Formats: sequence, structure tokens, C-alpha cells
Amino acid sequence: MQIIQISYVFVTGGLKHRMENKELINPQDIQIQGLVDRYLRSQTSNNNKILPGEHLDEDSLTAFTEGNLSAREAQPMISHLVDCSFCRHVTTELIRLDLAFADEAVQVAAVEKQPSKVSEVLNNLLSRIFGTNDGAVFAHQEKEEDSEKTEISEDSKK
Amino acid sequence: MSPETIEYEDFFPECESVMDEIYARCKENAPNFGITAEHLKDSLSRTVRRFVQTSAEEKPAIREIKDFLKQIQAEDLFLALACANGNERAWWEFDQQHRAYLERVARHLARTEIDAQEVVDSVYVELYGTRVVDGARVSKFATYSGRGSLRGWLRTVIWHSLVDLHRASHDEVSLDEMTETVGEGYAHSTFAEMKLGGEGEMIDQIARDRYRQATLSAIENAFSNLDDHEKLLLLYYHVENLKLREIARLVENAESPLRGWFQRKSTNRETNPASRIHESTIMRWLEKSYAKVLKTFRAELQTIHQLGEEELEICMELATQDLASPNLYRNLTTT
Repeated sequence: MQIIQISYVFVTGGLKHRMENKELINPQDIQIQGLVDRYLRSQTSNNNKILPGEHLDEDSLTAFTEGNLSAREAQPMISHLVDCSFCRHVTTELIRLDLAFADEAVQVAAVEKQPSKVSEVLNNLLSRIFGTNDGAVFAHQEKEEDSEKTEISEDSKK
Repeated sequence: MSPETIEYEDFFPECESVMDEIYARCKENAPNFGITAEHLKDSLSRTVRRFVQTSAEEKPAIREIKDFLKQIQAEDLFLALACANGNERAWWEFDQQHRAYLERVARHLARTEIDAQEVVDSVYVELYGTRVVDGARVSKFATYSGRGSLRGWLRTVIWHSLVDLHRASHDEVSLDEMTETVGEGYAHSTFAEMKLGGEGEMIDQIARDRYRQATLSAIENAFSNLDDHEKLLLLYYHVENLKLREIARLVENAESPLRGWFQRKSTNRETNPASRIHESTIMRWLEKSYAKVLKTFRAELQTIHQLGEEELEICMELATQDLASPNLYRNLTTT
């Protein structure tokens, strides 16, 4: 059996880890891992069997990366991720992002418990985005929320 | 079909009490969001229908649907529904709870502060919704179902928006194209174009080609014979270059089905199902997958290609030699 150069192990970090720990390594392990590595990397976008409109939605992607799916939901999704390099790459990025912010607890800005004028706060927010100051973006639903707004208005008077 | 199994149209009366409990809890926490019980139930029902339709196999039992409902991030969903309706108090809560986080995620991903701010602004616009369909504004929030956390969903939305921003600044390169250039395309293009090398001294070139073709065919079949969760693990590790700790993070949730499939025969799972998944555990899962590939690989060479033990060694040696070259598959072309 030919002596396998150490440089081959760049393809398998795990194997490298084992070598560093001086574990006995079967040369066939190196061969098959290297073969798997090169084989998988050679798979192309041409092999992507998924049409653009069939990609996973944000809701599903999130639930998958958070491990919140039941086996019933996960099975077809995992099959999809095996076939769809696009969605797999998205999940990869989301997993990294999740880990990057893993230690960040939910932080709520230290402000008053309720705004004195909710509309004012929201209009400021939306005017920054839409570049308008008139709060027109909420105008269409004022009718629906008349009763609630009256309550808010009365609250603020108190 | 078990006696408890139902068609999805029938689940509603059976599960209404669970939905009522969820609504009561949400309403108590956020009485001013203006969400009615019917509104929440409508959203939950849509999500349950989707869950039931996910699998063409046996439909879930009532118990499974009830468990599913209990796992929904109800408070997050309540907030999202209220924001989708344009409830001002909900928007204020959302802004207080999540804007700073959105900005941090955007800064983490974007190249410049300006890009980060642009993305956050565009996400807010999308969340609020500017498109009107049948007289109703379409808010992005309406697509959130509560299956994952709202924060996780927002991260996904931010990521997509940033890709769109990047695409817009690169002459509309398609999202698929942009993503795929990051991943797998390069190797195959080299594989397809390279011609056979002329380095064979020890073995005749024709025999060499035969062994290489057999090797390629065997590795293809060995991989395709793996279960999907094993394939995905190998793809994440070798193609996406996820680190062991990143994969461990993916299966951190004790209820993760991916984790469950890998630990099916694990005694540790039975005794301590919520135990932490370490990098060494992921390594073991990888090694099991390699072992499975190796077993099928050898079996295929022996049975399908009728290769003896010595020839099998030659195949493995050829693969080993090729590993030293920049691209193994330049010598494994089947043409």
C-alpha cells in the first residue's frame, strides 16, 4: 500500500483532528474520505433538480435551522436540501449566522413601558423609511382601529 | 390508517380547545394587539393544514396535531399577526424588541454601514407591506407561521434582503447563479473539460481507465445509497465547509429529527435525550457515514464490476494517487 502523504488530509478536518490526536488511522479511511470529498465537490449546479419556484420559504428555512421541525416535516425538507444546492447554501449561511448571534440574549431597549403616543413613535419610524412625515401609511386602517385609537388617546390624556 | 388518524378538514373541532388556550395566553400577554380569536385560529389552521399535507404518507393523529400546535411560537406569531394588521402598539413592541437586533445582524452581514441601514430599512418596508391585493395591504409578516422563532425568521429575511441588495449592485446576477458559484460549480467544470493524463507506467492505460470508471460509478452509488440525513451531513461538511461545531449547533435542539435519525440506536439518547451534542459526536456520525460509503463502495466494485481483492486495491490506489493531483475527477472522467 502506497504511503499516503499528510497533505491529503486537508480535505477532511476530522481526520486531521484524529491525526493530531495520534489515533491509529486506516489508510482506507483517508482514501474513502478524500474520494467522498472530491466526489461531492464535483457535483454541479447542473445536478440541481429543483426549479427556482420550488425553493424553501423563509418560514421553513428558519424552522429547519432552529431544529423546530417534526420528523414528518423534516424528511421532505432534508431530501430537498440534498438535491438543492441553493437552499442548502442558504441554510449554511443561516446556521453560521445563528451561531454568531447565539450568545445574544433577547434585549429590549430600556425605554418607558408604553409610549405616550404610539402613533407618533410609529410615524417617526415609518417616515424615516418611507421619507414622509404625514403618517399616511397608516391612514388606510384608521377606520378599523378607531375604537383602539380612542382608548390610546384617552390613556395619553391621563 | 389508524383510527385516530383524521383528514385535515376534520382537525379543527378536535383542536379548537388547544387553539383557545393559545389565544387566551397570547391575549393576556398582549391585550392591545387587536387580534381576535378567529384571526389567530385562521392562521394556526393554515399552518396545521400545511403540516398535514407535508407528507403524502399516513396522516397525523389528533395527538400529533395537538403537539404540533403546542410547539408553535405563539407569542411571536401573535405579534407578527398584529403587525401584519398594522396595529400600532404591536409595531411599537416589535421595534423595541427587534430593531436593534436586526441592525446588528445586518451590520454583521453587510460590507458597509450604509448597506446595513439600507437593508434594515427595506426589511421594514417589506414587513409593513406596500403592495395592495384586493384592497388589502400585503405584509411580509403574514408569511410567518410561528414554526421557528421570530428572530430566526427575521435573520432569514435580512439575509435574503442582503442577497437581493448584492444582486442589484451586480447587474442582476440571478440568486441561483450567485449562490452556486460559491459552492459546487468549479470542480465539475474542471472535471468535464480535463483530458486523461498519460502518466500510466505500471498499468496499461485501458485497464487504468476501466478501474477509474468503476471507482467513479462505485462512489456515486455508494453515496446515493446513504440515507438523506447522512447525505446532508456529508454535503454540509465537505461542500458547504460547515465546521463540526456549526453542525452541532444545527442539531442542538433535543427534538431535532436530524439528531434523532443519527441517534436512533444510541443508548445515550435513551438515557439522556437532551444531552449536548459535541463536535466529537458529529465526527462519529461522519465516520459512520464514511464507513457505510466504504462498505457499499467495496461491495459494488466486487459484485457489479466483478473486481477481485487485488483489483480493488488498484482502484483504491488510483484514487489515492489522484488525490495528490489538484482534481481527482480529471482522471475519473467516464468518457
